[in-house]
Amino acid sequence: MTDMERKDGTTRDELVQRVALMEAMIAEGRRSTARWGWVFVMWGLIYFAAMAWVIFLPFKAWAWPVCVAVGVVVSVVKGRRQRASGRSESQRTRSIGAVWQVFGVAITLYIIGAITSHHVNVPAYNATILFFVGMAHGTSARILRWGAQGLAAAIWWACGIATFFFTTQNEIIAIFLVASFFGMILFGLYAMWLERRRAAALEQHHA
Amino acid sequence: MTEFEREDGTTRDELVQRVALMEAMIAEGRQYTGRNAWIFVLWGLVDLTAWAWQNYVPVFGGRWAWPICLPAGVVLTLAGKMLQKSDKGYSRSGVCSRVMGVWGMMGLAMGIYVASAILTHFSWQYSYIAGLLMMLGMAHAISAMFLRWRMQGWVAAVYWAGGVAIFVCNSWKATNAIMLIEMGVVMVLFGLYAMGREPKRSGLQGGCA
Repeated sequence: MTDMERKDGTTRDELVQRVALMEAMIAEGRRSTARWGWVFVMWGLIYFAAMAWVIFLPFKAWAWPVCVAVGVVVSVVKGRRQRASGRSESQRTRSIGAVWQVFGVAITLYIIGAITSHHVNVPAYNATILFFVGMAHGTSARILRWGAQGLAAAIWWACGIATFFFTTQNEIIAIFLVASFFGMILFGLYAMWLERRRAAALEQHHA
Repeated sequence: MTEFEREDGTTRDELVQRVALMEAMIAEGRQYTGRNAWIFVLWGLVDLTAWAWQNYVPVFGGRWAWPICLPAGVVLTLAGKMLQKSDKGYSRSGVCSRVMGVWGMMGLAMGIYVASAILTHFSWQYSYIAGLLMMLGMAHAISAMFLRWRMQGWVAAVYWAGGVAIFVCNSWKATNAIMLIEMGVVMVLFGLYAMGREPKRSGLQGGCA
């Protein structure tokens, strides 16, 4: 193996370096997702809050616009602060950022288009939203080779399939609640726990 | 600049090497897209065939057009990929595997989505058709950001515009025309563009399998 050299002239040492670099990037990407775990928890809770408002409070028409607007503002403000804290970003971290940015643009366009043309509250609309979130989780999971996030993607897709079969209002609410709880809140809490554990280990190491 | 050194101890040479590696990876990623662009052409033709069958010769089992053409497209794609994999001498960089990941996930998500909608007879809803275009746009946009490829970014924008247009136009005639343009013309044209242009531009010997 010491004389191993590929046809394109890459030596073994170069390959080992590349693998090490990629592994470091994957680890950094996962850490980055873990640092942003609060976003998943927050959006899961926003869904619960909006649904509770729709069911129990007056001015139901304002529930979603207000909750989503609050979510967007908090995400932007807190996200900027987090970025300003000055952590370096690997290429893989930026890739994960790109996945979620594109998801944000696509889902915003889709929801605005559907609302303005009165195409919401049909099975295909609900399923599409669930599939969008699942696709973003799935792509991120594939890039980071992260089983837990892959499971979150599977939950969103399974719920997306379910919305085609269970189409009453109550069933759809239940499906969205399940997806938000398991695919967003629990995953976010898990990611935050990982980040906290890593930070504690780092502190211990320094001590 | 000769004594340039970052706070974390990375030297200028190391940074230059890293940038060169990243540029090579992006070029490889584009070449990967170019090498697999036949899939865009294939799916454009599959969609056009199914659309023409359903609309022009509905007497020959028109309602089976999509259920037959879509699985046929999957089989042809898998067969093509198997033939392609037998070619030796192709490396796979990080960017290539990420682009593969994006399209793999898009394929998986779309496969489940389409199958569920067809099985439950909801594939006629505008939201479903707009969702298809938005998903395709998502995959193109993510890939475009990874590869810093403006042309693919425009393709993503065209798909998203089509998805929104379906909602806005709110008619079957317009939806049919938009689907024909997006799934047939745009997909085939981008596939041909990527097939013809990228291998020349990237100038790499290898590329990704």
